Amino acid sequence: MSAETKKIGEIPSFKVTLFVRRFNPEDGQDARWQDFDVEVFGTDRVLDALHKIKWEQDGSLTFRRSCAHGVCGSDAMRINGRNRLACKTLIKDLDITQPIYVEPIKGLAVEKDLVVDMNPFYQAYRDVKPFLIASDKPEKERLQSAEDRERFDDTTKCILCAACTTSCPVFWTDGQYFGPAAIVNAHRFIFDSRDEAAEVRLEILNDKEGVWRCRTTFNCTEACPRGIQVTKAIAEVKQAILRGRA
Amino acid sequence: MTKPRIHNYTYDVVIVGAGGAGMRAAIEAGPHAKTAVISKLFPTRSHTGAAQGGMAAALANVEEDSWEWHTFDTVKGGDYLVDQDAAEILAKESVQAVIDLENMGLPFNRTPDGKIDQRRFGGHTRDHGKAPVRRSCYAADRTGHMILQTLYQNCVKLGIEFYNEFYVLDLVMVGEGKKRRPSAVVAYELATGDLHVFQAKSIVFATGGFGKIFKTTSNAHTLTGDGVGIIYRKGLPLEDMEFYQFHPTGLAGLGILLSEAARGEGGILRNASGERFMERYAPTIKDLAPRDMVARAMANEVREGRGAGPNKDYVLLDLTHLPPEVIDAKLPDITEFARTYLGVEPYTEPVPVFPTAHYAMGGIPTNIKAEVLSDNKTVVPGLYAAGECACVSVHGANRLGTNSLLDINVFGKRAGIYAVEYAKTAQHVPVPADAASEVIAMIEKVRKAKGNEKVAVLRKELQDTMDKNAQVYRTEDSLNEALDKIAELRARYENISIQDKGERFNTDLLEAIELGFLLDLAEVLVVTARERRESRGGHYREDFETRNDKKFMVHSMAYLTDKKVKKPGENIKIDWKPVTITNYQPMERKY
Amino acid sequence: MVTIETPRSPRSRKHAQWEKWGWLYMRYSGAVLLILIFGHIVINLLSGEGIKQIDFAFVAGKWASPFWQVYDVLMLWLALIHGTNGMRTIVNDYTERETVRKALNYTLWIVCGLLIVLGTLVCVTFDPCIDQAMRASLEVCKG
Repeated sequence: MSAETKKIGEIPSFKVTLFVRRFNPEDGQDARWQDFDVEVFGTDRVLDALHKIKWEQDGSLTFRRSCAHGVCGSDAMRINGRNRLACKTLIKDLDITQPIYVEPIKGLAVEKDLVVDMNPFYQAYRDVKPFLIASDKPEKERLQSAEDRERFDDTTKCILCAACTTSCPVFWTDGQYFGPAAIVNAHRFIFDSRDEAAEVRLEILNDKEGVWRCRTTFNCTEACPRGIQVTKAIAEVKQAILRGRA
Repeated sequence: MTKPRIHNYTYDVVIVGAGGAGMRAAIEAGPHAKTAVISKLFPTRSHTGAAQGGMAAALANVEEDSWEWHTFDTVKGGDYLVDQDAAEILAKESVQAVIDLENMGLPFNRTPDGKIDQRRFGGHTRDHGKAPVRRSCYAADRTGHMILQTLYQNCVKLGIEFYNEFYVLDLVMVGEGKKRRPSAVVAYELATGDLHVFQAKSIVFATGGFGKIFKTTSNAHTLTGDGVGIIYRKGLPLEDMEFYQFHPTGLAGLGILLSEAARGEGGILRNASGERFMERYAPTIKDLAPRDMVARAMANEVREGRGAGPNKDYVLLDLTHLPPEVIDAKLPDITEFARTYLGVEPYTEPVPVFPTAHYAMGGIPTNIKAEVLSDNKTVVPGLYAAGECACVSVHGANRLGTNSLLDINVFGKRAGIYAVEYAKTAQHVPVPADAASEVIAMIEKVRKAKGNEKVAVLRKELQDTMDKNAQVYRTEDSLNEALDKIAELRARYENISIQDKGERFNTDLLEAIELGFLLDLAEVLVVTARERRESRGGHYREDFETRNDKKFMVHSMAYLTDKKVKKPGENIKIDWKPVTITNYQPMERKY
Repeated sequence: MVTIETPRSPRSRKHAQWEKWGWLYMRYSGAVLLILIFGHIVINLLSGEGIKQIDFAFVAGKWASPFWQVYDVLMLWLALIHGTNGMRTIVNDYTERETVRKALNYTLWIVCGLLIVLGTLVCVTFDPCIDQAMRASLEVCKG
């Protein structure tokens, strides 16, 4: 193989520096930044770089991950100050002349390195009754027009990664706010024509910690790795509360 | 090191795994028995959520269809290694399974008159192979995501108890021979390092697959076959482990899956010269041939030098003739994958694809009541399995697309129902005092190990050898090479060490333990593949290119024995189990 | 570390219809204030001689008309409540201790109330005749 043809097939590799926020609950030390140099390829994502660190340099580096292509929602983290999924963030798309900063999502207690306590987040989700409530017992499928189905399509995409909620400055303040993800999941049912409990959910979100705490900073919409129009969904829920129905 | 803290619980039904099958079982069991679901992940992180295309059911909402045709397709798709009684149940109960999900709230795409819409999918035909049929019910290209979300939502509704980020590492069995009964499972809690012993009358395994034995795979990092491995280590058999499905359209080099829906909606596979090569391999249904045939055709194009790209190592999936609105409405996620990961714009450019390890047809043998078998016939009372980890066998030698989402719903539900039925009359089997001792030993061994081998290195070498030797094309030599390599890796596995010695969120430790399961399962796969000297479905032997119904129209059953071995693989005993045939006699499989 | 240390107490279920009305009030008062304030700026600062024209006589002239009295009282009420409610949300966001939060909020509303009362009194009971020069020039003061 000539030198030239070899070049075409090669995926270019380059070196990047990652600053990772480390915290070990067992060593009694405060959280700190630690830097790692990693050789990566053009197709590598931040998750690949973290794996390279874990597998080649420091096995104690801890983070959650599973599917590695943006559908399971395990690896939301703050990369260069923005909430993203590590498995959907190509390193070459970041400014690689600078170190890449990776830290846990904010507003939830850090358990270890990039792992946070997700329970308050899940609790907020469960609090909005995120399930279909319908009294009829159909023998076959319930009918639903394509338009009615389309009405809540956007909010069915949520993967509960918490990127939105933990990008919300209101959530950062005291963690009591329901947060964008819970409202998105309420929206998914409030606007489902088959559901009969929109009023119940609207009542839940018409709360001191409900939709009214939203300040429309659009951080959530920007953070959502699924491209959900989160702020719009929250606004639609506010409108629904004012109308008293979906 | 302090003694591990051990917590004890008693339930009627314990379900291991919170993917589609596990949660479907929980929805049946929860309201009728004290039920717990133990999962190594938060439920919605399970890999069911990655399934894209759809769920087959002969609803006949858009065109004529029947469950018999569906049964036939499933049997033929599985290259006649399917147990036909199970396939009949799968096809018959598919309609109710879809209705169940819709009633639980799943947002299926709709027809203009408001019914559940259906689309074409590989291998699904009308009237026994005459033409493709629209049988797959779907929610855009995130059907699995919607199934997983809907099932979790209903578990929340029913107040099902979950133990998330608990790794089940052992099944406690009591008694000998045919009197052996499951008594409890032992789980390691990721957050604390504590051990938890869950006693239960019925135990359901729904732990998913083990794609991480391969390098190029659509499977999640967490799919390491722990559940299947636990069963195998208990001396119970594993069925049809040689049959592993390679999905044709993985993103080249990455393995990330592009759903078959892409071809269902009209996508075309082309080689370097732009030829629609599937016309040569499956003249009737072309790109919608079953996955094993398409994957092999693709690999063959590349082998014979017709691959695309600078290294001629992939083929192209062409969607450019589809209107962008259709792509946006029906295939949004997969086009986004192509954009994000390869920087390819599917509206205007073909997408580089190559087969990726996708689904284990084999697994824990069960009967149609999802009861686990301890040999060809004997049931282990109180032990159930469903989903990818189980082998009923409805997928035979090759699973049809959309039949896995169906499998988890039909047999997940059955597992839940029969687990409750058993728990209602059965007594708890007493848990031995030293129930957790094996897990304690396993963990302490890894934690204290002071060797110089790295887990990641061994895992990578395993995955490399599996991709090289046990993938789409296999030979006696390649399989022996893989087996020798696995034996070498096993020896080196005894000499590992880990860096994280802590108790909290020690994923370093768990990756080492998971590698142990991967090695076991890879070895079983390779040994059974070597013993099956024929080509059938997903298993293709270049040295035995045809199907041999005379000798191999049987399921393989692999048992771990404690035999001292001179040669690798000798400790695995292979037995054979007859295939249940009802209506469809084996025919040549042409599309 | 910039995170909340301990798992939070469960959300208190306060069915505050009040928050809904508060949110609505902020939108409507904001819209009305936009008009009122721009009107105020134009009349007081841009038209005529601009800022130099503002003296006792200018104010007295305006408040001699009930229209401007209502205009300014409305602006006063809307703006003070709007601002105080805005401050309240900030206090609610950033105070950690309940006692501090309550103290700050009570203070805010007391100050707001005092300013409203005071401002309204000034507007309503305004007497242009207290000024010598006005007494000489205005008809109403001569009676």
